[in-house]
Amino acid sequence: MGTLNGIFSNASFALNMHTKALATLQEQTYTGSRINRTSDDPSAAYRVLGLESQQRVVANYMDNISEATSSLEMSADVLLDMTTAITETTVNLTQILSGTYGLDQEGQEARSRLAQQIDDILESMVSSANTKHIDQHLFGGTSTGAPPYAVVREDGEIVSATYVGSREERTIEVAAGIQTDIFYSGEDIFSADNRGEPEFYGTTGAATGSGTSNVKGDAWLTVTHDGTNYRLSIDDGATEVVVPLAGDISNIAVTDANGQVLYVDATNITQTGVERIRVPGTYNLFDTLISARDLLKNEKGLDGDTIVDLIEKSSESLNEVKNVLIEKQVTIGTKINFLDTLRENLDNIKFGAEEEATGLEQADIAQIAIDIARREALYQMSLSMAGKLMSISLLDFI
Amino acid sequence: MASFEIGLSGLQAAQSAFDIIGNNIANAATPGYHRQRIELSSAYVAQSGSTSFVGGVNVEGATRMIDTLLEQEILRQQSILGAVAQEASVLGTIETAFGEFAAGGGLNAAIDEFFNAMRDLSSHPDDSIWQNQLVNAAETMASQFRTIGNYLSQLDGQIYLQAENATDSINALIQQIAKLNGEIEEVELVGGQAHSMRDQRDQCISELSELIGIQVIIRDHGVTDVSAGGIPLVTGAMGNDLEIGYDSYGRLGLSIVDAGNFTALIDGGSMGGLLELKNNIVGGLQNGLDTLATAIIQEMNTYQVMGVGSAGSFTELTSAPVGNLSELDGLVSGDVSIRLTNTATGEITRHTITIDPATDTVNDVATAISAITGMTASVNTADQITITADPNYQFDFLPSVLPEPTLTDFDAASPPTVEVSGIYKGLINDTFTCTVIGDGAVGNGTLELEVRNGANELLRTVNIGAGYAAGDPIELGNGIIIGIGIGDLAQTDGDTFSIDAFATTDTANFLAAAGINTLFAGSSAETMAVSNDILNDPRRVATAIGAEMTDNFNVTRMADAKDTALTALDGMTCGEYYRSIATDIGQQLSTKQLHQENVEVMVLNLENQRNEVSGVDINEESAKLLVFEQMYQSMAKYMTILNESLDSLMDLA
Repeated sequence: MGTLNGIFSNASFALNMHTKALATLQEQTYTGSRINRTSDDPSAAYRVLGLESQQRVVANYMDNISEATSSLEMSADVLLDMTTAITETTVNLTQILSGTYGLDQEGQEARSRLAQQIDDILESMVSSANTKHIDQHLFGGTSTGAPPYAVVREDGEIVSATYVGSREERTIEVAAGIQTDIFYSGEDIFSADNRGEPEFYGTTGAATGSGTSNVKGDAWLTVTHDGTNYRLSIDDGATEVVVPLAGDISNIAVTDANGQVLYVDATNITQTGVERIRVPGTYNLFDTLISARDLLKNEKGLDGDTIVDLIEKSSESLNEVKNVLIEKQVTIGTKINFLDTLRENLDNIKFGAEEEATGLEQADIAQIAIDIARREALYQMSLSMAGKLMSISLLDFI
Repeated sequence: MASFEIGLSGLQAAQSAFDIIGNNIANAATPGYHRQRIELSSAYVAQSGSTSFVGGVNVEGATRMIDTLLEQEILRQQSILGAVAQEASVLGTIETAFGEFAAGGGLNAAIDEFFNAMRDLSSHPDDSIWQNQLVNAAETMASQFRTIGNYLSQLDGQIYLQAENATDSINALIQQIAKLNGEIEEVELVGGQAHSMRDQRDQCISELSELIGIQVIIRDHGVTDVSAGGIPLVTGAMGNDLEIGYDSYGRLGLSIVDAGNFTALIDGGSMGGLLELKNNIVGGLQNGLDTLATAIIQEMNTYQVMGVGSAGSFTELTSAPVGNLSELDGLVSGDVSIRLTNTATGEITRHTITIDPATDTVNDVATAISAITGMTASVNTADQITITADPNYQFDFLPSVLPEPTLTDFDAASPPTVEVSGIYKGLINDTFTCTVIGDGAVGNGTLELEVRNGANELLRTVNIGAGYAAGDPIELGNGIIIGIGIGDLAQTDGDTFSIDAFATTDTANFLAAAGINTLFAGSSAETMAVSNDILNDPRRVATAIGAEMTDNFNVTRMADAKDTALTALDGMTCGEYYRSIATDIGQQLSTKQLHQENVEVMVLNLENQRNEVSGVDINEESAKLLVFEQMYQSMAKYMTILNESLDSLMDLA
């Protein structure tokens, strides 16, 4: 039975239904997305929100990787420059050792020029060690805000370069659970850490004791005699240790006020003098250059043979430091390669997440066009049908 | 003259039919109208011998075309529709308020950006640009929480007001139904028919069913009783007004006015929907959002309070208003360890105060802090505690190890110095005890250290004899590094030293609970905000916990908190928990919309069925009109013929 109310209700319901469907289709058309609110497809929406979150996190990690790579590349460049400079210095020292420069006045002038050159290199090295990248010092460990190396000068020359940065390396997270160092501690980068037995170069008869000394790089052992006992010092006599006349003197701890200790076997000491102590595996770049420069200047008035001998050792020390720098370059290079690979992986993950999110979210435009046409036809038919049903009446035939 | 009476009854019947048909057509579009049908019967038939006396037609009355079961099912479905539509409507606005998938992004993106800003800051912990970026991201996230939290609170209030308005409408309908019941009973008790009033009353009941789920009992004489959720709304001509209020569980419910017996067990109708929204849906969302906000606030603050930013240690810190310690959220019995630095001498000391919220007041805490040389604490009238360092002192709550062992027991004439550094990465506060094994000078012979934790478990044995260069760093594990200087040690003297390692310096959770050096203030989504101290000085975002204050350990673990499954969040991460809330709204809305569509179709079908029974079909009425017109004309002709017959008879006379 076609009651007026029934026809009206059915028509109204149909029109309302088609209008809502058309509104949804219209929204999908202008957003290009089939999910415009979570209720459109809750499970897909949960997935899309998670994927969008993942994309943001991955993008953040990729930014970190870019930054880490940039810092590490800068560090590698600095180390390469330093290595090149050390190689040049070593070559120059070798020229001296090979007799290119003699031990005469002319040779001394040449050594002084090389000392000046090493001093320039030292200045450059300190400057490089204090390099900043994006307002952060590369070699200060976690302490990136201040120059990691503080120098003390005498007459304008650097006489010491002290590390004042942090021992802790700055690490950042470059992927979930993966951390990488981006700012190294200068102490780790510019110092060897493979302590060997101290080597004694001198004529006093002093030798290394059985204890483990903690002096690093080059040191000087001064052997004096007070008329009764030999006295040993590693700080130019500021602190002296008396060698007893009796008892075991094969492992005498010669200390200074800074907590340094050199274990000396005094058994065979027969004369006073100065022993050059060399501790392989403990050299740092700056002290080695300072030592080489001072040696070339020969301010201690050493004889020619000793100078040649010590220059040879300095050359070895520089090579040790150079090897340390090369090792670090390799480490940094490996890290850069790892980060490149990681970036590619993250890029793939990001791409995959984008693709999946797009697949879940994207509206099928062709399907929408078909649906709109269908809904339009249904809408018109609903109107037409309602009109026809309402217009047919028996009253017209009475 | 029975024939005239027959003719007259026919004319009268047709006339009555015209009235009913006319009334039907006139009410063809009237909501709630049930079409009526004239009921005719042949009147008085008498038999006298072989002669029958026919009495014409009787109009028995009009029948109201109604299917009671169908009507009751419509009422039930209308109630369901009312509830579902109400819930869907409000859920739709909530979904919009959450704003996911809208331009500009919602809270999901804000949470991500906040933690991403944390990670960015971990790369540049002392850079003001990244500090400001983090503070902005934190404020954006907090403001999003506040916006949604405020919206839900306001919505909660609006739902209450809407429920009040709905109650007024319900009460008006109850009184109308009761009044009509009385009038119907009055008419029908004396044999009358009150179809129009029944239609009006039933229309009221129908409207009432859209407002509240009702049960209907049809009684004699047209009276209909109505109840809802066990509450009698209409009994005969008596209607009980309702009021809204809270039951003993704090749920919004309905009760008869002044009865005070509120029940929340009202299903159906927009009132049922409102109660469901108020008691479960909105409340549940508020709880969920507050849980998330609180978890983020607590997680961040727990790390923040212990650390320092590039601004370094503090000279003064002021808490939020504290009040009664026993009522402070999250405060438990425990210790707070304060690290005090004498800036003149460089000496660093650690001082511990014990707090028992059951017995201590904030003034007791202030007194305990003031007892530390170099520090003063006071409580103002707003119950805020202010901790101040004396001149030449700074304080912080860093968990970093002190530069020297906590306890040292060396008996040699020239013992070594012990330097302690590093960042403890253990999860519980512990004390590491290092016991000397062997006798001799550091760096010589066989000399070792046995390292044991607080449970006296041997963690490792490290060499400090031959092969160890005095002062070289030794990793104890868990990030702690020691360096033993030159000097003599002896197992025979029982030489030992211990190091206190802190995973947290606030086992009482006092700092976070009192709002001292926190990143966020507030304790819910609605009150979440970046603390004023941080807004005023972003350098105070606690990036570091190491003694050097240059590390990024703290900010890194704050960033990592995003991926940490938290017990408070049912084992989910912040992001997962939020997404579950946001999509749960969508899920509920989607379900409600689908339900609504189904019920709408069902109601439409039921109404179509009702229209078939009770609706007015103009064509059918027109056809009937023709029938009764014919009848009327025939009866008139009949009367004319009778009259002519009588005239003929008179002419014979």
